Amino acid sequence: MAKTQTLYVERFSVFQRFIHLLIIISFLTLAVTGMALKFAMEDWAVQIADMFGGFAVLGALHRFCAVITFFYFFLTMILLYTTWKDSGKNIFDYILDPEGLVPNLNDAKEMIQTFKWFFGGKRPYYGRWIYWEKFDFMAVFWGIAVIGSSGLALWFPEQFSRFFPGYWLNIATIIHSDEALLASGFIFTIHFYNTHLRPEKFPLDPVIFVGSITLDELKHERPREYDQLVASGELDKVSTRRAPASWLKRLASVFGIFVVTTGSILVVSIILTMFKYIQQH
Amino acid sequence: MSHKDTLLSRAGTSLVILLSALSLTAGSAFALTNDDCLGCHSDKSLTAQKDGNTISLYVDEATFKETVHAGNGCVSCHIEAEVAGDEHPFPMSPVDCSNCHDEVANTYSKSAHGVAMAKGDKYAPKCKDCHSKHDILKPEDPRSTTYPLNIPYTCGRCHQEGSTMTATHELNKHNITQNYSMSVHGKGLFEDGLIVTAVCSSCHTAHDVQKASEPTSSVNRNNIINTCNKCHVGIVDQFKKSVHSPLVTKTDKKLPVCIDCHTDHSIAQVHEKDFRLIIAKQCGNCHEHQTETYLETYHGRASMLKGGERTAKCSDCHGSHNIMPAHDPKSSINTDNIVKTCSPCHPKANLSFTTYLTHATHGDKEKYPYLFYTFWAMTGLLVGTFGFFGLHTILWVPRSIIERVKAIKNGH
Repeated sequence: MAKTQTLYVERFSVFQRFIHLLIIISFLTLAVTGMALKFAMEDWAVQIADMFGGFAVLGALHRFCAVITFFYFFLTMILLYTTWKDSGKNIFDYILDPEGLVPNLNDAKEMIQTFKWFFGGKRPYYGRWIYWEKFDFMAVFWGIAVIGSSGLALWFPEQFSRFFPGYWLNIATIIHSDEALLASGFIFTIHFYNTHLRPEKFPLDPVIFVGSITLDELKHERPREYDQLVASGELDKVSTRRAPASWLKRLASVFGIFVVTTGSILVVSIILTMFKYIQQH
Repeated sequence: MSHKDTLLSRAGTSLVILLSALSLTAGSAFALTNDDCLGCHSDKSLTAQKDGNTISLYVDEATFKETVHAGNGCVSCHIEAEVAGDEHPFPMSPVDCSNCHDEVANTYSKSAHGVAMAKGDKYAPKCKDCHSKHDILKPEDPRSTTYPLNIPYTCGRCHQEGSTMTATHELNKHNITQNYSMSVHGKGLFEDGLIVTAVCSSCHTAHDVQKASEPTSSVNRNNIINTCNKCHVGIVDQFKKSVHSPLVTKTDKKLPVCIDCHTDHSIAQVHEKDFRLIIAKQCGNCHEHQTETYLETYHGRASMLKGGERTAKCSDCHGSHNIMPAHDPKSSINTDNIVKTCSPCHPKANLSFTTYLTHATHGDKEKYPYLFYTFWAMTGLLVGTFGFFGLHTILWVPRSIIERVKAIKNGH
């Protein structure tokens, strides 16, 4: 790593970045293969199936990426367990840590302040995790719970129907596909915008790939975290002159922009299709 | 042999020839023999002008002797020539096959071809257009224009898309010969030389060709089952006992016949992709709601993508020629049989599994309330989430632009 005059602060560990990479690959594949089936009557879906070599290939990839999803869910549990152990807190204090990932009252206040900021107020005194980031993180949990359980039912319908009525599979289909529409629609529009596509970051915020941001960025974007680091005297410990490697930055840009573009194309196709349906009915 | 013997022998031979010739022409002083005709017509260069075209008047004797008419004299068809004797008039009036083939001629006169002919349609086929003139061989002869392998070509001369006939007539069906050659019948004929396969005349008849709209046509909806039954006896037997048979279901509504599901000229092999992919559409012509709701389920959705011919189609669950109403114990979707029906694709199927709604729709509140409410709850969740965050994002855009501009001004 090249040494520079600029100070960097690590925001995501290698393990966290690896988990997010797994999420990207599996989520994008699940979305593309799943939406091709959900919108099978559309030309773009037919083209996706042709490109992959048929619906059976889509199905195989979808299930493979489902396995990756359960795997990264498991890795996330390990991550949370180790950070809990490292924090030295009891489980409740860890979960309800005001600077943790669980939404709290301060987030509601910040949200109101944010809306005020949109209309010309002061930029809120954001901490390490802003409420829309917490929403993204929590969404993965209920998303996996809902999409994962309904998906397993649809993956093993004969076994599922030994314990539940067969027509629940119809319900599972609606839940699975609409929750997936919510999840991919959300990630490919709201998350992409909040994180990458908004003018301040456009076209990509590479932090999830390169791991660190500059101290200046931290001070500006997350002043509360910066002040906390200064107050606790930890700033010197976490800051470094090691800039992310340039190959990593380049790779991050290429991969990140490819993923953001692919997701955007898919979501535009979906939105246009939905508009068509709404017009028809 | 001496010179005298030779002379005697020659005289004898001449006498035999003379007597033979006399005996052949016995009964009519001017009667013409085939040899008389061939005296001129065996000349390959013999031509005449007719309607501005040069036509050949050559007759190949060797071929003619193999035809079904080999035993007939030329004049039995070309009557005018017989009357005229040595030099017959030209042109002569057309040969009238009905002099001998009166029954066939009668049938033909009532057919679409015959009616067109009577109306003066110059493209209407005469006997010779299908059967040729001096080359009429038995239909069993591979060289015959009416040999099964040749019939599509014989009919195709006029009925092939792009011919003068198709260009000048308003026809309901198009590309019929191309479609036929791609069909299960056509492939059997052209690829395997299967002469018992259906050719044009098998369904349309040879001389009684009528438009499908004619009630007496062999390809009219009301007669088509009997026409297919000429070969597909076992299938028709099954069909007659099924829910689609007019013998079983008494209704004013249109009941399907063979061509409604299988189509006509492009009829495909049932296990082939082409056919499997159109089943839902074919059944949907009558069972619209069932097809629509089927297409909403996994089976239907996947069927629209590449490889989709593999997923369950209407006939995989309901059967085809033997379809029975669900309450009938013989029905494939009867509770007693349904697990077996699902099991070729779902080997671990059980009775609870079979309560999966293969024609489910969330649009029917009365019939599927739980699907209806699930759908609308999910839709509410989507609308709510996107509504809030959409607004959040839209309001953020101008602020974010301002922030970016500020950052640029500050040198970042």
